[in-house]
Amino acid sequence: MSKVWSETLYDAYGQTFSVDKIYFESKTEHQHLMIFHNAVFGRVMVLDGIVQTTEKDEFIYHEMLTHVPLLSHANAKRVLIIGGGDGGILREVCKHSSVEHITQVEIDQAVIDMAKEYLPAHSNGAFDDPRANIVIDDGIKFVTESNEKFDIIISDSTDPIGPGEVLFSSPFYQGCKRCLNDNGILVTQNGVAFMQPDEVTTTAKRLAPLFKDHSFYGAAVPTYIGGIMTFAWASDNNEYRNPEPDTLRQRFEEAKIKTSYYNPEIHQASFALPQYIMNALKDIK
Amino acid sequence: MKAFLSDVEIQRLAEQNGSPLLVLDCAQLQKQYKSLQQALPGVDFFYALKAFPNDAVINSLKQMGVGFDLASSGEIEQIRQHRVNPRRTIHTHPIKKDKDIRDALRFGCTTFVVDNIEELKKFRKYRHRVGLLLRLSFQGMTAKVDLSRKFGCAANEALHLIHRARQMGIHIKGLSFHVGSQSASPDAHVDAIQHCLDIMAQSDEPLSTLDIGGGFPVNYDGNTVTIEQFCAPIRTALEAIPSDINVIAEPGRFLVAPAVISISSVIGKANRSGTTWYYLDDGVYGSFSGRIYDHAEYPLRTLNSTDVKPCVLAGPTCDSIDVIAENILLPEMEIGDLVIAEMMGAYTAATATGFNSLDKAKIIVLNEVAKENNSALMQKKTYSDKTVNIDTAVTFH
Repeated sequence: MSKVWSETLYDAYGQTFSVDKIYFESKTEHQHLMIFHNAVFGRVMVLDGIVQTTEKDEFIYHEMLTHVPLLSHANAKRVLIIGGGDGGILREVCKHSSVEHITQVEIDQAVIDMAKEYLPAHSNGAFDDPRANIVIDDGIKFVTESNEKFDIIISDSTDPIGPGEVLFSSPFYQGCKRCLNDNGILVTQNGVAFMQPDEVTTTAKRLAPLFKDHSFYGAAVPTYIGGIMTFAWASDNNEYRNPEPDTLRQRFEEAKIKTSYYNPEIHQASFALPQYIMNALKDIK
Repeated sequence: MKAFLSDVEIQRLAEQNGSPLLVLDCAQLQKQYKSLQQALPGVDFFYALKAFPNDAVINSLKQMGVGFDLASSGEIEQIRQHRVNPRRTIHTHPIKKDKDIRDALRFGCTTFVVDNIEELKKFRKYRHRVGLLLRLSFQGMTAKVDLSRKFGCAANEALHLIHRARQMGIHIKGLSFHVGSQSASPDAHVDAIQHCLDIMAQSDEPLSTLDIGGGFPVNYDGNTVTIEQFCAPIRTALEAIPSDINVIAEPGRFLVAPAVISISSVIGKANRSGTTWYYLDDGVYGSFSGRIYDHAEYPLRTLNSTDVKPCVLAGPTCDSIDVIAENILLPEMEIGDLVIAEMMGAYTAATATGFNSLDKAKIIVLNEVAKENNSALMQKKTYSDKTVNIDTAVTFH
C-alpha cells in the first residue's frame, strides 16, 4: 500500500507525490496546511490541496520574485513582503546588504512557526535578521492603512481561492501603489498562465489603470505544474524592464549574491513572454 | 431482511443504554455494499452521505473503497475528518452558492453537477479547475421519492447545454440522472441509461462519465425485489456502454437502511374511542422523521408475541402530527415495553429535529471497523489557540 498525495488543483490533470513521512498537518482558521517528505522534492508544503513550496525547487521561485525587482531598482532600501510565511522571500531579500528595512506582513503566525520548524532552509535564519519586522496582519489591511513607504513590494500569496484571494484584487493593488515610493516596483505571484490564463488577464486589467508600466515575467518551477509560472510586474518607471546588460551584470556582481537560478541573462530573458500570453494580453491597455 | 440483533441482545442494549436508540451494524452495512457491488459489477460507488451522515458509516465504507457523494460544505467538513481522498468525492447538489463551490474546491473536490445555464455560469471563473456532470431528467421516473421534478434538465436541452459549456470553456465530463429514491422498478434506470447513451453518442465532446444516481430499493414492506433482481436489467443496459466510459452510482438508502434498527420505549398508554394509543419516546420529530419527509413505512414489532390487535403508535412531542403508525396490529404492551423498528438507517437520524427540546436517539455502533492507524506518521503540534489539528489531507490508497 503506497501512501500518496495528489494535488487537486485541476479535475482532469494533476501531480501525485509519494509520501514518505508527514511532518505536520493542521487546519487553521485560515487554511488547511500540511508538510510531508517526498523522495524527489524533499519537504513539500501544501495548502488547501495545492503545492505551495518544496525544498528542492523553491529557490527558483524565491530568487526570481526577489532579485528581479531588487536588481532592476538598484537602490531599494525598504522592502515590503506580503504573505511569504515560509520565509523564502525574506531570506533572498536579506541577501541584499543595500536593503535597510524589510516589513513582512503574514496573515497567519502558525505558517511562520511551522515553516521555521519544518522548512528551516527556507528562511535560513532570516526571521532573526535585525532589518526584518514581522507583522501578523491581513496584507490588504496593511497596504490600505499603513503610512510607511517602500521601494519594492513583493506579494507572495497563495492561490486566488481562499484567504489569498484579496491579494489579487484591485483594492490590494491600489494599496500597494499608495505604499510605494516614486519609482517603486510591485511584483506578485501570478499563477501558471498556460493552465489558468484568467489570472494573467485579470491582473493585467487591474494593474493597467494604476501603473505607467505593467507586465509579467516568468520562470519554470517544476512543482507549479503546466508550464511557466508568471510573476506580475508593475511600476511607474518603464525603464526598469530593460536594463543595460552590462549594468545589470555589474549590479549583480557588486551585490555579491549567490544564486542557483537567477543570473542577469535569465533576468532579462524572463520578460520575454510566450505568444499565448501576449495574445491573451493584447487587448488590455 | 433478517434482524441482525436477537431479542435478548435488543433487551440488553436498552437496559445498558436506555432509549430511544438507533443501533447501527457495520457488518450489515458492508454486506449491503457487497451485494450492490455484485449486482452491478464495474460500477464505482459514491455513498450519498445525506442518507445517514454517521462517522462509523463513513469509516466502514471508506475502507471498502467506496467514494462519497456530497451536497454541502458541512458534509465536506465531515468527510475531511476521515482523510477521504478528495478525488473519491463528487459534489452532486445541482444548485450551489459560490461559497459551496469554493469550499469544495479548497477541500479538493473538483467534480460538480449542473442542470441549467445559470448554474453553468457559476463555473466560468473556476472553469480551468473543474469537471462537471450534466444532470438530466426523464419522463416516467416513478420513485417513492421523486427527484425528477425538482432537478434535471430535459434530454432535448442536454446537447445545447453541453455546447454552451464548451463556448464558456467549461468541461462537461459526463451525464448524470437520479430516478429518485426507493425506485419501484428498474425500468426508469434502463430508459435513462439508454437515453444518456444516445446523447453521449451525439455529443461532439467526449463524455467520459455516466452517473446513474441512486434509487436502489430496500425491503420495507416484505415485497420488494432483491437487489440482484432489481439490477439485472440495469446490468444488461450497462453492457451497451463502451468500456472507456466510467459508470458511477450514488447509493444512499440501499447501503444504510437495513443496517440500522430503532429501539424505543412505551412511555404512555391510553384508550381513546376504543383504540389503544401507545406513546413512545421517539417519534416523527425524531428518528421517525422519515415518516414525514421520506414517505417511509418502517416494519414495527414488539418483543412479546401475544395476540395482536389494532393500535396507534404516537411520538413523545406535544404535536398531533407526531403519530408513527395508525391501525397497526401489535400485541398488548405495557409502559416500559420496547418497540423495535427495522430498516431505520436512511433519512431517519439525518432529518430528526430537536423539537420540544427532546434528545435525539442515541446511536449505538456494532461491529465497528477499526480506523486506519496513521498516528505513527503524525507528529502533531498546536501552535496557537486558533490551530486545530486534524488528520485529513494525505490519502492512503
